[in-house]
Amino acid sequence: MNQEELKSRYGNLVLNLSVALEAGDEKAFFTHLGAIARERDDGLWAQLRKLTTDLGSALERFQLDSRLVDLAEKEVPDAKHRLDYVMKMTDEAAHKTMDLVEQSGPLAGRISSDAEKLAALWEQFRTRQITPEAFRDLLDKMDVFLDDVRVTSEQLRRNLAEVLMAQGYQDLSGQIIRGVIKLVDEVEITLGQLVHLATSQSGAQASSDKFRESRGHGPAVPGLDNGAVVNGQQDIDALLSGLGL
Amino acid sequence: MSKDLRFLVVDDFSTMRRIIKNLLHDLGYQNVAEADDGNTALPLLQAGNIDFLITDWNMPGMPGLELLKAVRADPKLAKMPVLMLTAEAKREQIVEAAQAGVNGYVIKPFTAVTLKEKLDKILEARAAAK
Repeated sequence: MNQEELKSRYGNLVLNLSVALEAGDEKAFFTHLGAIARERDDGLWAQLRKLTTDLGSALERFQLDSRLVDLAEKEVPDAKHRLDYVMKMTDEAAHKTMDLVEQSGPLAGRISSDAEKLAALWEQFRTRQITPEAFRDLLDKMDVFLDDVRVTSEQLRRNLAEVLMAQGYQDLSGQIIRGVIKLVDEVEITLGQLVHLATSQSGAQASSDKFRESRGHGPAVPGLDNGAVVNGQQDIDALLSGLGL
Repeated sequence: MSKDLRFLVVDDFSTMRRIIKNLLHDLGYQNVAEADDGNTALPLLQAGNIDFLITDWNMPGMPGLELLKAVRADPKLAKMPVLMLTAEAKREQIVEAAQAGVNGYVIKPFTAVTLKEKLDKILEARAAAK
């Protein structure tokens, strides 16, 4: 407080006090002394209130700042790795599916063309125009064909089952993407709160707990989720058999 | 092993439900119902038409672990065989699921052979217990 402020706040009060003292007016003296004490206390309270508010804002800002630092330094780079992993996973699944389709096409084609060749001989047989040599040829070819159809259709069935399994990537990548969407959501809210705090100096609260609440962690991403994560089904079986399952 | 068993497959991703349903069909189980989280699964289970529960863990709404706990807490469902089929891979989670009473745990991505092995193991253990 400078001299001017001191004079304006206490000048009159001190003057009244000194007049009452000169006049020997005890009642007036103590009234004015009380007024001086109240003036001083009000200033102290105002200072204290301001300090408390400042401290509150600083704490809020610190909370938001440290969450933002955490987001920027750890979780956003993590999210990039997770998305890279999604790309790798979708790429592998697409290639696996196409490999199987490319493998299966010629198998189906071979059955079809062999059946076509047999159909010509079969037609001769049906119309009783087949020679004994051609009939023996038909029987031999039919044996080979039936064998081949059995083996090839089994292979096609296996390929289709693998195509089916390869679609599991959609669930795994979906879970990872959902996690990243949550993170983007949190970055948006935290930045919004920071802007709000900077402009109004009031009321914002970090809500990161809501986002950390876990319904599970989603698929483990190699290079990020090591440590306490099991390494495949065998690990789980060993762990569970240790627990009596 | 009876092929008349009625399965309930719970997963929030419809692609995964289709995969599991197809695999069960290949194994000869034709009776397969579906639900997309614990909240929709529980009424189906309580209606009493399900013999075997296969559930994911990480689902919006009611996650698989809570569904498992709800099943074990319901006297009518408490003995239902439950197989968890999930990408959740933390050791502490697997222990938690075991403590909550899961009968088998298969990690995604999985193979048709693994699913069959675990199903057979659970069904054999139940047949032996009877």
